[in-house]
Amino acid sequence: MLPSSLDEAVAALSAMPAAVPVAGGTDLMAAVNSGLLRPAGLVGLGRVNEIRGWQYQDGHALLGAGLTHARMGRPDFAALIPALAAAARAAGPPQIRNAGTLGGNIVSAAPTGDSLPVLAALEAAVVVAGPDHGRREIPVSHLLAGMDLLRPGELVGWVRVPLLHAPQTYLKATGRTGPARAGASVALVLDPARRSVRCAVGAVAPMPLRPLEAERWIAGLIDWDGERGVAPEACAAFGEYVAGACIPDPEPGEDGSEPPALPPAVLHLRRTVAALARRALGRALA
Amino acid sequence: MTGPDAATANPAGLHGALAPAPGDPGPPAGEPVPHGIGASLPPADALPKTTGTFPYAADLWAEGLLWAAVLRSPHPHARIVSLDTSAAARMPGVQAVITHEDVPGDATHGRTVADRPVFAKDVVRHHGEPIAAVAADHPDTARLAAAAIDVEYEVLEPVTDPEKAFEAEPLHPDGNLIRHIPLRYGDPEIGGEVVVEGLYRVGRQDPAPIGAEAGLAVPRPDGGVEIYTASTDPHTDRDLAAACFGLPPEQVKVVVTGVPGAMGDREDPGIQLPLGLLALRTGRPVKIALTREESFLGHAHRHPTLLRYRHHADAEGRLVKVEAQILLDAGAYADASAESLAAAVAFACGPYVVPHAFVEGWAVRTNNPPSGHVRGEGALQVCAAYEGQMDKLAAKLGLDPAELRRRNVMSTGDLLPTGQTVTCPAPVAELLEAVRDAPLPALPKDTPEDEWLLPGGPEGAGEPGAVRRGVGYALGMVHVLGAEGADEVSTATVKVHDGVATVICAAVETGQGFSTLARQVVQETLGVEEVHVASVDSDQPPAGPAAHGRHTWVSAGAVERAAKMVRTQLLQPLAHKFGMSTELLSIADGKITSYDGVLSTTVAETLDGKELWATAQCRPHPTEPLDETGQGDAFVGLVFCAVRAVVDVDIELGSVRVVEMSVAQDVGRVLNPRQLDARIEAGVTQGIGTALTENLRTGKGIVRRPNFTGYPLPTALDAPDIRIVKLVEERDVVAPFGAKAASAVPVVTSPAAVAAAVRAATGRPVNRLPIRPQAAVASPARR
Repeated sequence: MLPSSLDEAVAALSAMPAAVPVAGGTDLMAAVNSGLLRPAGLVGLGRVNEIRGWQYQDGHALLGAGLTHARMGRPDFAALIPALAAAARAAGPPQIRNAGTLGGNIVSAAPTGDSLPVLAALEAAVVVAGPDHGRREIPVSHLLAGMDLLRPGELVGWVRVPLLHAPQTYLKATGRTGPARAGASVALVLDPARRSVRCAVGAVAPMPLRPLEAERWIAGLIDWDGERGVAPEACAAFGEYVAGACIPDPEPGEDGSEPPALPPAVLHLRRTVAALARRALGRALA
Repeated sequence: MTGPDAATANPAGLHGALAPAPGDPGPPAGEPVPHGIGASLPPADALPKTTGTFPYAADLWAEGLLWAAVLRSPHPHARIVSLDTSAAARMPGVQAVITHEDVPGDATHGRTVADRPVFAKDVVRHHGEPIAAVAADHPDTARLAAAAIDVEYEVLEPVTDPEKAFEAEPLHPDGNLIRHIPLRYGDPEIGGEVVVEGLYRVGRQDPAPIGAEAGLAVPRPDGGVEIYTASTDPHTDRDLAAACFGLPPEQVKVVVTGVPGAMGDREDPGIQLPLGLLALRTGRPVKIALTREESFLGHAHRHPTLLRYRHHADAEGRLVKVEAQILLDAGAYADASAESLAAAVAFACGPYVVPHAFVEGWAVRTNNPPSGHVRGEGALQVCAAYEGQMDKLAAKLGLDPAELRRRNVMSTGDLLPTGQTVTCPAPVAELLEAVRDAPLPALPKDTPEDEWLLPGGPEGAGEPGAVRRGVGYALGMVHVLGAEGADEVSTATVKVHDGVATVICAAVETGQGFSTLARQVVQETLGVEEVHVASVDSDQPPAGPAAHGRHTWVSAGAVERAAKMVRTQLLQPLAHKFGMSTELLSIADGKITSYDGVLSTTVAETLDGKELWATAQCRPHPTEPLDETGQGDAFVGLVFCAVRAVVDVDIELGSVRVVEMSVAQDVGRVLNPRQLDARIEAGVTQGIGTALTENLRTGKGIVRRPNFTGYPLPTALDAPDIRIVKLVEERDVVAPFGAKAASAVPVVTSPAAVAAAVRAATGRPVNRLPIRPQAAVASPARR
């Protein structure tokens, strides 16, 4: 089925609850082709024009779920939401970026999804379209954490992202120079209006992690009215703080015995997160 | 051919077919196209391959065909308690279900030792081992039916650590030790003033042929069967299949389709055998196309290897003694492991003069994925280790790593630790000096910072302040042709009719360029421009496997002899008529002229409508197996290579980008410059994969993430500038044309060079391939 509006798509899904919506298909069709998934029907979202662009709404951007990574990577979009543009540019080879969509990235909810830590750091919310023109908002982090799930017949229509007018960064560590999944990623945004720093770490857990204490600590050190700088030592300490929060030391045993040491690969991951968070903050404040 | 080959060899072919590469003068307008030995003749199939019209096995079709699917073991080690196919056989659309009970001939097969069952009977020995096969009307039906076969397993503890294989219960009636070579050469008591020790590991590289593994079997009216597949060794595959089918070899024909890349044995026999059996059972054509996951599980991988080394040297850095222990993980079946071990042991010291060597090598059986022939096997793993040792020795002596190597390199006349004299050209010092003296790539300090390609890629997290550059050297060697007494004969037929020559030779074109070379050879010898190379099947006389550069040597040699015989047949009557010998006549551009210009006629006129045929063989001098102390003249020829790697390492994240690879190679003679460059570039790129990313991971014998996300190949961004700084053309007098095979040795040498460069950049030991990021992390205080 190829509906031409979101409400039609919702109606089609409601009529056939076993059908699966498909946007770019970069995750879904791979699963279908390898025989892992046999959907009873597909509802193609490619002709739903209302979710392919973006609009502005009281200090926020309402991003269509059908925005492709390629579109988000362009300079005009990068001027609006730099971290999301950086994540979109880092998300795989051009063929994937031309097809894969923002909404698909959220719904697939892969731990390595590049846009997810950015959306978590931006405290974005998805606008869900439901049956009978129903619309409701779910914070992206609630959706990813499974606290609030999409109900039958519901589709992700838009993503509501605050426009912060301040530097943002997205950094990702990979195993090769060419396109690859993130081993770890860090998104960091500055919110000068609220005088806060928000940071999310991707790919180290099933969903992006927010080191809230580290965010508050570093925000208190930043001279918001002046140069917006911090000492390099503070940057480094922030990195360690973030890494320690996301990849904590093992708890000591209940009998007070020595906790087991982290395996070398996990220690390396923690060092990587620390370096990424330090670099992300450094670049945002540079 | 893996990804890297596809990435580099084909674009080279594209240049060849469509336009001259930049910098290549090419033929001036109006001049004839390049021809003959030494010319950059483009491959005949370059255009169809680049435009997508070249047929591969996955494109085959036959009227009324059935689709096959193979049921593979989900366990690395288990006893099969019961096997019930009745539910699968009852499914609508299913035409046949076969298991070990339906194999009419030999129940086991193998290239050297027949130790691998066609279908597992009582026990499965690796994840992905075939248990049963289904033929059905639709591929999905076949897959669902295979999944519906009810197998009850008693899961057994897998043996996944090769060091434990010695003590473990035998995994196979043949025992767990596949081969042991205790090489003893010189005086065991002698010691050096400086001693360095190291423990090295090399991971499991997948040949990752980029085209899907596929095949089609068609039953014949005479009760035989024809198998269409991308075999790289059709005659061995035919004999193996006939034995399992219980048929005489004449009733089985293996027809080679387009080969979408081969790095070793191309198709897993686990698909050819079920295909043939299903076609014989159903009397209908049967096709199979494997998923990438099945490919990763089924075909042979590079041997994961554990190496322990101790090098003794004098105070000047000259090697005194090398002691080594080499343990190859062969997986569940023997395959080519014995031969790989011979190469590993014989080349354990590298292209260096070592007066005393004591090397123990073992290949052992485990429940890990199968290992076998992947080009440069054995030689690659030891190269990573002995070059690591050379770096360690240089550091200990405070010598420049290139200088230490220069003091030890071998040359013609030196002895291998197997006691074999190196009789072929061995210009190792010249190769090393060429890469050492090549100018280093400039630092990007004059370009704007945001244009630098840092480790991690253009959208990566690289930060210039954390990037360190390192330069490393490696020397490598590999043998040409099968070793230890293998009969490396090849047969070729050349036909001339109507001014067109045809070559019939069962040497498979795998991308190595044999068919182009065959055309060049015939053009050179017969002066005929238009040369066709016939497609290959097992009814032709055997030419042997496409491995170890053998077709460049024996098959091209056989083509040359056959072409010369045709030449004699053509010229003999003329020469006789004019009372001169055939050597005084020459053929060019379809014309025959005598040395004095008196006689001039055309080839067509001389042929006078006749067809001329000749068949010839080429067989290199014999070799002998290594004896019980690892001694013997086991190799026909040796090839050498020097590589200098320049890498950038982000020392905080441990990400590595190879900036440049400089290669100097011993090639004997350049037969096709552009093809040679493409082969070297492809080999280096594959070597970068071995060094940085390619490792098929397993957990308790289960293959983890068998896909190209979990198994990252080098992409165009990972492939560095590859500079071929020198090709040493010192002809090998025993080789036809004096040429040496070129594909394998850069694969063998490049990983060690990358490791050496990362060592130089980080100061870390780097004793494991692929190099994990945590091994390339260093404290910024260094340097």
